[in-house]
Amino acid sequence: MQEATFLILTALADGSQHGYGIITEVRQISEGRVKLRAGTLYTALDRLRADGLIGVDREEIVEGRLRRYYRLTPDGTAVLAEEAARLHANATAALRRLNPGLAGGTA
Amino acid sequence: MSEQVTLERSYRRILAWYPQSFRAGSEDEILAVLLATAEDGQTRVGLAEAWDLVRGAVRMRLWPAAPRPRSVRVAVKLMLAGAAAELAALMTVIATLGSVRAAVAARDATAMQAVHLHQVTIIALAPVAIGMWLWLAWANGRGQDWARPLSAACFGLISLSVIAGLAQGAAAFAPATMIAAAVVWTLGLSSVALILTPAAGRYYRPQPAQQ
Repeated sequence: MQEATFLILTALADGSQHGYGIITEVRQISEGRVKLRAGTLYTALDRLRADGLIGVDREEIVEGRLRRYYRLTPDGTAVLAEEAARLHANATAALRRLNPGLAGGTA
Repeated sequence: MSEQVTLERSYRRILAWYPQSFRAGSEDEILAVLLATAEDGQTRVGLAEAWDLVRGAVRMRLWPAAPRPRSVRVAVKLMLAGAAAELAALMTVIATLGSVRAAVAARDATAMQAVHLHQVTIIALAPVAIGMWLWLAWANGRGQDWARPLSAACFGLISLSVIAGLAQGAAAFAPATMIAAAVVWTLGLSSVALILTPAAGRYYRPQPAQQ
């Protein structure tokens, strides 16, 4: 899974968001490192919707413009959980090898 | 105010590159996001921003996000791998051109003609084969139903070429080429098997939605 996709799913993990909301959430989650652009975001959303990982939660009209909120589907939640566990295991293994003395020290 | 109108018009010009199906549902939505992320007083689309939008449009047109079943997604990847394997085989043949000829000349000069024919055939046909793999990967990814029999027919041709290679005794004088051919053949077999599964069939021939 690409990092942008992972971060988009993460942004939706605790509630629905609209496009601009996802961009700000992703920037926050990545501590300012990942600045999603609209083209990347909507290509990813298009694909995630087609794959059934996200769905449209609701639509609102704000200042005459359509605002669409997206949410994770049960499939999306499962895929994100799986990917997060995989990354976590990899990161733990890396830290353990870098700091053998700390093995088992921190959770 | 007029600045925003100018900017909006520039964005719409780039969004025109996106597929109609996407624009019908999402053009206003993505435009709102673009305007929300624009700098104050910005009147022109930035270079990085334009590149990102165009890249998205190209990706959506080449790989439309239809709900592709897993078997089709894997088959498409195998076909791209097939193109890569074909390229590797071509490079192997070119790199070993001289050594294979020398080995054959030393062992059995009468086989020279067969070796020559084998090498010329591969060098001439490999670029066509690479193109076919890429084209079929693209067409299968888009769910074009004609791509399935065509893929199966191409796999038949690959099988014939492997048999022909074996008949010419290529296994003896060009083992690397025959290994590459075996890899290509396996990729062909697996990808064709995947696009002929029932799950893939529903993707190529969608049933009208049941109400």
